[in-house]
Amino acid sequence: MARPYRHVAAALVAAAAIVLAGCSGGNSANNSSNSSSSGGTLVVDTAFSLETGDPGRNYVPTGNMVLHAVYDTLLTFQGADSTTPKPDLATMKQNADATEFTFTIQDGRKFSDGTPVTADDVVFSLDSVAGITDSKANFLMAGITVAKVDDKTVKLSTKTPSLQLPAIVTNPSLAIVNSKVVQKNGGTTDDKDAAKTWLDANSAGSGPYTLQSLDLTSQVVLVKNDKYDGDDKPAYDKIVVRNISQSSTQLTNLKGGDSNVAVDLSGDQVKNLGDGFTVNSAPSAETLFLLINQDKNVGGATASPKFAEAVRYALDYDKLLELAGSGSVQATGVIPPMFPGANKSGVKQDLEKAKAALAASGYTGQEIKLQFPNDNPVGGVEFTPVAERVQEQLKAAGINATLAPAPFATEVQPYVKAQEAFSLWYWGPDYADTSSFLPFGPGQKVGLRAGWAAEADASIADLVTKAQNATSVDARNSAFGDYAKAMQESGPFVPLIVPGINLASSTKVAGLEYNVTWTLDLRTLHPAK
Amino acid sequence: MSETKAIATRTSRKAQHTLLRFLARRAVTSVILLFGIVLVTFSLTVIVPGDPVRAALGEGAASNPATVEAFRQKYGLDQPVWIRFFIYVGNLLRGDLGTSLKSGQPVSADLAKAVPATAEIAFYAIIISLAVAIVLGTLAAYRRGKVTDQVVRVVTLIGLSIPTFWMAILTYQLFFMQLHWVSGSGRISPTITPPPRITGFYTIDYLLNGDSVGFLDAIGHLALPVLVLSLFTIATLTRFVRTSVLEVLDMDYARAARAKGLSGRRVVVGYVLRGAALPILTLVGIAFGSLLSGTVLVEAVFAWPGLGTYAYNASKNLDLLAVTGVGLVVGVIYLVINLVVDVLYGVLDPRVRLS
Repeated sequence: MARPYRHVAAALVAAAAIVLAGCSGGNSANNSSNSSSSGGTLVVDTAFSLETGDPGRNYVPTGNMVLHAVYDTLLTFQGADSTTPKPDLATMKQNADATEFTFTIQDGRKFSDGTPVTADDVVFSLDSVAGITDSKANFLMAGITVAKVDDKTVKLSTKTPSLQLPAIVTNPSLAIVNSKVVQKNGGTTDDKDAAKTWLDANSAGSGPYTLQSLDLTSQVVLVKNDKYDGDDKPAYDKIVVRNISQSSTQLTNLKGGDSNVAVDLSGDQVKNLGDGFTVNSAPSAETLFLLINQDKNVGGATASPKFAEAVRYALDYDKLLELAGSGSVQATGVIPPMFPGANKSGVKQDLEKAKAALAASGYTGQEIKLQFPNDNPVGGVEFTPVAERVQEQLKAAGINATLAPAPFATEVQPYVKAQEAFSLWYWGPDYADTSSFLPFGPGQKVGLRAGWAAEADASIADLVTKAQNATSVDARNSAFGDYAKAMQESGPFVPLIVPGINLASSTKVAGLEYNVTWTLDLRTLHPAK
Repeated sequence: MSETKAIATRTSRKAQHTLLRFLARRAVTSVILLFGIVLVTFSLTVIVPGDPVRAALGEGAASNPATVEAFRQKYGLDQPVWIRFFIYVGNLLRGDLGTSLKSGQPVSADLAKAVPATAEIAFYAIIISLAVAIVLGTLAAYRRGKVTDQVVRVVTLIGLSIPTFWMAILTYQLFFMQLHWVSGSGRISPTITPPPRITGFYTIDYLLNGDSVGFLDAIGHLALPVLVLSLFTIATLTRFVRTSVLEVLDMDYARAARAKGLSGRRVVVGYVLRGAALPILTLVGIAFGSLLSGTVLVEAVFAWPGLGTYAYNASKNLDLLAVTGVGLVVGVIYLVINLVVDVLYGVLDPRVRLS
């Protein structure tokens, strides 16, 4: 062999050796899983919706997931429950009018730097969210004033009854930060706040983990908080939350041992996972629904309660549910099943009733446009096949719909401006409380998008007011129940599906819990015994 | 002899001046082109239907008038479009690409992370593709009509026909999940710390820091994305190399070289490939530009935090300045590549140099 060729051959062999050596890195989660039974590193794959590590400016799902592990809130939800807030940093008492809520910080609670959590920290944290007007979470503090009572006690007040306040303060956006540390790094309680840059790289919380690094596009690394003094002792030395946008890649990573937990798998994907994996499928808090605009100028011939009724009874909900996969359920109303007040059962298809309602509506077979966003699946449910099946089922009942898909960013404009006559949309709660579904009522935010003014149905509008002004949980839940039932009978919305959420992990990991706000509870994850 | 030297020196100086004039002319043209790119991209973000504020804030916050107002003020969205454009261009001249509506971080900082990630896979993919394509394409042309040629043509046709994203999913399932030959998704394993940033290429940065574990891990993560991107590029380049080499093989000077008794290998390496280099160079430039700016699907499958992923997310979220920033970067990429290709034309072809 001539000399130059020997050199080329040697270089090729060396290159191949390097590549093979590099490639044999293999499965990182498996590599660390020897220690996962006694801590070690936990790798979680999810499609990122992450914008900041500053809790007061965060209001997106991945941000909630990560920050819930790093920061404590005054109250919290335990496990999958989203109905009864429990003490986290503080215990709570409220007055009879549900306008004053007194929080007492539990003894011994410390930040990750070892300093105790005080009332000043609570006041600073909540006032920051209320004072930073361009914060996405700012609206959570609307109408709430915060006052220090003593070093351990804080009072939150509202002008009107606010039984949703305990649920609101569980939101990771209202996390309690170490005020001295944050102030030292630019934190204020007004628009001059400049702590975001520091909080994007560091943390100042009292949760079981602290932030080691945060990259908005690739991964967040959390490490154990040795000074944590609460109930959720950190089970891992390190948690790596990675941005894996494709559910198929999440599935491959989980099966191949590169990750321990996958958050965004579809119902079909978890069905075939087989042995060696744990799956937690549950209905999410999102609802897919049809909107039938009641404004004659927008909806024309279809702007009538009777047309909405015809659509409601024309659909075969079981067939629609087939498109959604594991964990999904039929939407029994505008309130999803896990919240108090939700209807026990949903509408059943009744074509005779649908045709009678259609005849009474004045609709005479015109083509109507079904508008929907086609690039924004919810809980793994794509809107296009759902819209196609709705179109097919409506045709059988005598309603001619044409599909009009558009990207979310384009479609959302006519939706919020109440310019859509007939559309397919979704709604999720702003916080884990049934009051987040009152906006469907007449004269409320979503109701108005359907051209449904308060005077269009005074009785349902009264039920909304009754629920908003209730001062006892029982009275409120009863009002929610009446509201959900009335909405299902005569509202301009046709709730279709509550998509499922499918959390999956290797069997080496236990404690897989879905929560409405933070999706996956990183605090409860621990090595399986 | 000294007269010959003087002529050579004069020719060399003339060539240098010509090159400088050429570069100066291209620099002026590039600035005008870049302004055009900024104008078009910025206009598109304004024309496209949709409200960027609502897209950035989400349902809850967008219902809060105070937040919407503060957000508009903060990002200058309360200003007329033409004022926003002039502010943007003014900031651009100072190297400021603005702030992402979604992340609140400088677009330049976001791009400084995304561009090297994509550039790293594109760089290795184009090197591998070029090496393989030259060998296969030349071999196929040299053995025109024979079995080798037929096999290369069929294989490259298959390579062109297979969708890249499908190949990405398939190879990932096979080589990672089933065979465990390569590492998982992302640029490095979750247990590995990223290298201190020097070039932005993890492989090089790890080497410069003497971190062999990190280097091998980065290689393991690069292997599949590079392979998948290379397959399509190899197929394209191979067919083009074959055609170019065939054309040159039929030229008189190639025939003359063979008639003189030079070996087939010497004719191909010394005469034919040099003659076929110019059109190949053009296609390599285009392919490299395409790899740098169009790897969205491969990046998605391998969770690669590169320019394609950034561009997709920016467009989906109506993140105006991020979209404009991506447009500008892609424009710069193509301008630089074209410039390099043009300069290399001069290096490879004396006729271009002297003209």
